[in-house]
Amino acid sequence: MEFTFFFSQFMSGLTYGMMLFLVASGFSLIFGVMNILNFAHATLWLIGAYLCFTFWSLMQSYDIALWLSIPLAAVTTGAIGWICEVVLIKRLYKRELHEQLLITYAMALIFGDLIKITWGPTDKLIVRPPIIQKPVHLFGAPIDSYFIFVIFIGFAVAVGLWWFLKFTKYGHIVKAAVFSREMVNALGIPIPRIYTWVFTLGIFIAGLAGGIQSAIGSITLGMDMSTIIQAFCVVVIGGFGSLTGTLVGSLIVGEVFSFAILYWPDGAMVLIFAITAAILVIRPWGLFGTPLRA
Amino acid sequence: MERKKSFIKRYWLPLVLFIIALLLPALIPSFWVHVFTEILILGLFAIAFNLIFGYMGQLSFGQAAYYGIGAYTTGLLMVKANWPLIATLPVSMITAGIGALILGFFCVRLRGVYFSILTIAFGQLVFFIIFQWYSFTGGDNGLQGINPPDWLFSAVPYYYFTLIVVTIASIIIYFITESPFGYTMRAIRDNTERTEFIGINVQRYMLINFIISGMFCGLAGALWGPFNRSVAPDLCGWQHSGTPVFMAVMGGPHHFLGPMIGSVIFTFLNAFVTGFTEYWPLVSGIVIIFVVMLMPGGVFGVIKEKGYFKAKEPVSNGTNPVDKGRD
Amino acid sequence: MKSKFLGIVVAVALLLGFIISGNVAAAEPYHLGVALGFTGTGTLYSKDQLEGIQLAVEEINAKGGFLGKHPIKIFQQDTQTKPDVGVRTVKDLILRDKVRAVINDYSSAVAVAVKPICREYKVLHIAAISNSENITKVNYSPYTFQVVPNTYMQAKAASYAVAQMAQKKGWKEYVTLASDYEWGRATQEEVVADLKRVAPFLKVKKELWPKLGETQFTSFITSMMGMKPDFVYACLASKDNVTFTEQAKPYGFFDKIPYVGSMQSVTELITEAKTLPRGLVAISRAPFFAHMDVPMMASFVKNYRAKFNGKYPSDWAVMGYDAVYALKQGVEKAGTIDTDKVKDVMKGLTVDLTRGKLQFRPIDNQLRCSSYVGVVGDDPKYPFPILKDLIEIKASDCERPEAEIIEARKAEKK
Repeated sequence: MEFTFFFSQFMSGLTYGMMLFLVASGFSLIFGVMNILNFAHATLWLIGAYLCFTFWSLMQSYDIALWLSIPLAAVTTGAIGWICEVVLIKRLYKRELHEQLLITYAMALIFGDLIKITWGPTDKLIVRPPIIQKPVHLFGAPIDSYFIFVIFIGFAVAVGLWWFLKFTKYGHIVKAAVFSREMVNALGIPIPRIYTWVFTLGIFIAGLAGGIQSAIGSITLGMDMSTIIQAFCVVVIGGFGSLTGTLVGSLIVGEVFSFAILYWPDGAMVLIFAITAAILVIRPWGLFGTPLRA
Repeated sequence: MERKKSFIKRYWLPLVLFIIALLLPALIPSFWVHVFTEILILGLFAIAFNLIFGYMGQLSFGQAAYYGIGAYTTGLLMVKANWPLIATLPVSMITAGIGALILGFFCVRLRGVYFSILTIAFGQLVFFIIFQWYSFTGGDNGLQGINPPDWLFSAVPYYYFTLIVVTIASIIIYFITESPFGYTMRAIRDNTERTEFIGINVQRYMLINFIISGMFCGLAGALWGPFNRSVAPDLCGWQHSGTPVFMAVMGGPHHFLGPMIGSVIFTFLNAFVTGFTEYWPLVSGIVIIFVVMLMPGGVFGVIKEKGYFKAKEPVSNGTNPVDKGRD
Repeated sequence: MKSKFLGIVVAVALLLGFIISGNVAAAEPYHLGVALGFTGTGTLYSKDQLEGIQLAVEEINAKGGFLGKHPIKIFQQDTQTKPDVGVRTVKDLILRDKVRAVINDYSSAVAVAVKPICREYKVLHIAAISNSENITKVNYSPYTFQVVPNTYMQAKAASYAVAQMAQKKGWKEYVTLASDYEWGRATQEEVVADLKRVAPFLKVKKELWPKLGETQFTSFITSMMGMKPDFVYACLASKDNVTFTEQAKPYGFFDKIPYVGSMQSVTELITEAKTLPRGLVAISRAPFFAHMDVPMMASFVKNYRAKFNGKYPSDWAVMGYDAVYALKQGVEKAGTIDTDKVKDVMKGLTVDLTRGKLQFRPIDNQLRCSSYVGVVGDDPKYPFPILKDLIEIKASDCERPEAEIIEARKAEKK
């Protein structure tokens, strides 16, 4: 009984963490490579969720609708990200920190309202296909079967990114660009193009996360604002730009939240921010980050 | 050379603005008196924020925390202990200052983007403490019934009260920025290492500046509660921290009155735009992009470029103040 | 120097001209402020409510407006379901748009913050769907009227439903799950207190407080399932309610743990038509199907469906519609749109609404409307489940005794 209880609580923390990881990994990647703190990241994530809803409602008579909508939403969101990069973000690389922050903040405001104009203020709800309507049981604990999928995708994205950075040529270039842009540029590799694709990849993952989120609960305006701040905590805890760190940070936030609501329900969020602040004070570059040259 | 100019020649702009501000209530309907009260309060908030941004060269994205601490101090003292408004103002400055001391102690060890990130994190920490401490702060509901005394109750007296407080506070801040301390801040902004080499304890100076900024943010917050008759946790949230950043950038962080001018433009625009559309975030977002992309240096920056103003303090000599410490 | 100075003078003059010219307002139309949470957690209900208001205004304007000569003009603002934004927008509505009445908000926290502003400027404040009892019980404002059953009345209805079930099933322990804000706190407190009276054998095992606008209930769900209480009493609304139900269902939560006394308004019934677990014992505030025998309700449902593409009106649309009609009857009785006179007349007034003939209680301006308890189940007449075996709990059976209100106000003065 005790173990089952503990285990199911752990599993819900794990799913929560995985959802956060999917949002935060792109956020972290973009910061790590491009040094841009993208306040609009979660807003694009929300666009992914709404797009997924739209695709789903076009095909809803088929059971497969949801499974097709999620990748479609991811690709479309990625395309929006690409446009943002080419039109706006590109002009920011040489700008000052406060200008970058303000521009991405403004993007969050604009996209938030564009969502409202496009989809209206009412909440959107996806009806799940029958296969994920019933729970599965693990060690006697009931688990939402969709969450198995969420956890799987979370790990798949983590492994995929790891493989990309570690074993592909482009991954090596991206990693090199984190350390020295000048060097990469000197080798004749066009940095702007690398940035464009990194940003697009980050937003693609955000769109994927949004699509997955859309089947978890209703989709509403304003969800982005609470999510961005949690993704922010994750990345601070784990270390900006570090993939392992983002994964660990997500799991810490997920599990802390999951267990804190049992023992100190009022303090769950306070605790998460206290951890975040403590990490910043002790190791500003996070658990797994590398200190940038001061 | 500047110092030899007569008083009027030197301070004609703030004087003109002050006289306009004095005459305004006679000329405009009460709705706009409210708007201008808001402009003054947020203007003070932005000026206090600019001590860190324009003078120290660091970007704080968490000043709303101190603004909120000030607002809640006044609110709690007035609602739960029946204190008179005037007495709560200095207390609010002290509590906000203590908050800034505790959190600033950690912030000033960092520079550049990490400074910004830590201020956001601390800002959210304060937000969630206020948000969750239901029995003390009223949680999500906020505090209601923060009524100013009868003689300040209606719009015009409260406007004048705010005008006086904000003017005095601004003069104090101005003298701080013109003091040797203020010039040390500029030195730290322009070249931290060199300032350190000449024997100045940079961190301690930055901390003192952080506390002063926090105190005046707290004062602005303290004026806000009675003005709105209530306070809510959103006053401390990170989105509210963005307001003074934008005001300073819009007006021009390199001029003492820049943030106030930014507040005039931003608040006025808000009051006007919300009159006919609910899409204020969209409009403000577009304005922000427009200003950042096309008007670096803000309104005063543009005026300066056109040669209306001679180089005025604080001017950065071409380097990007905020960029220091990054990379 | 001169040209500089001139430039500033011109700019200021332009600014002033701009302000003054924007403020010439005609006196004739009746300006009605609608400040609702169109974004934020209140979105789901606020849009329906606005539609109810729009329909009522359209109908009244077709006959020339209030008293046949004051066409109603709606000024609509978004409070973002946040108290500080609510206060600002309502101030704007009053000072800039010169509204005479404000219908506000989904969130009780916003309504409580807006109430003193309306009293200060002598503007009618109709809390059409926000139902914290504190809006009318304490810190009384003669300008504030409530047309929704308040938390006390709803809590009575909920505890009535819970106590009946508990007795039947021999339940002992329960967990509460309530939104962490004004309405959730007030209702939960009232239900727990009332259950102590009517079902003293019940014990609270744990109180859980998800924040308003929670997106991840998973941890709450698994922890409740782990605690294995006899039942769960939940007090969630709007998006949170839908999110919780949607996330709890795949866990088999509703098969394992009885879930009673939650609010399932027509909005939830329609939004989750396919997914809502049947057999839940739920409460509701103003379901249209309870009063199809009242001609006004029947015609309202017909007109509403005609205007909004066959959609059925939710509780919130019903109450928005009722709010405008209550105001109309107040204006008619007073014979003028003068706010102070209208407010005096409305005190204790009996009005004809879609939910029947109902009175504003003189002591607190609370409409003496009913609360509803029923079981979620399908009905061949509608394309969504409704509350079956509906019990209407009249105000006289569930409102707070006046003596208690007087006492609460005395305590407050100290």
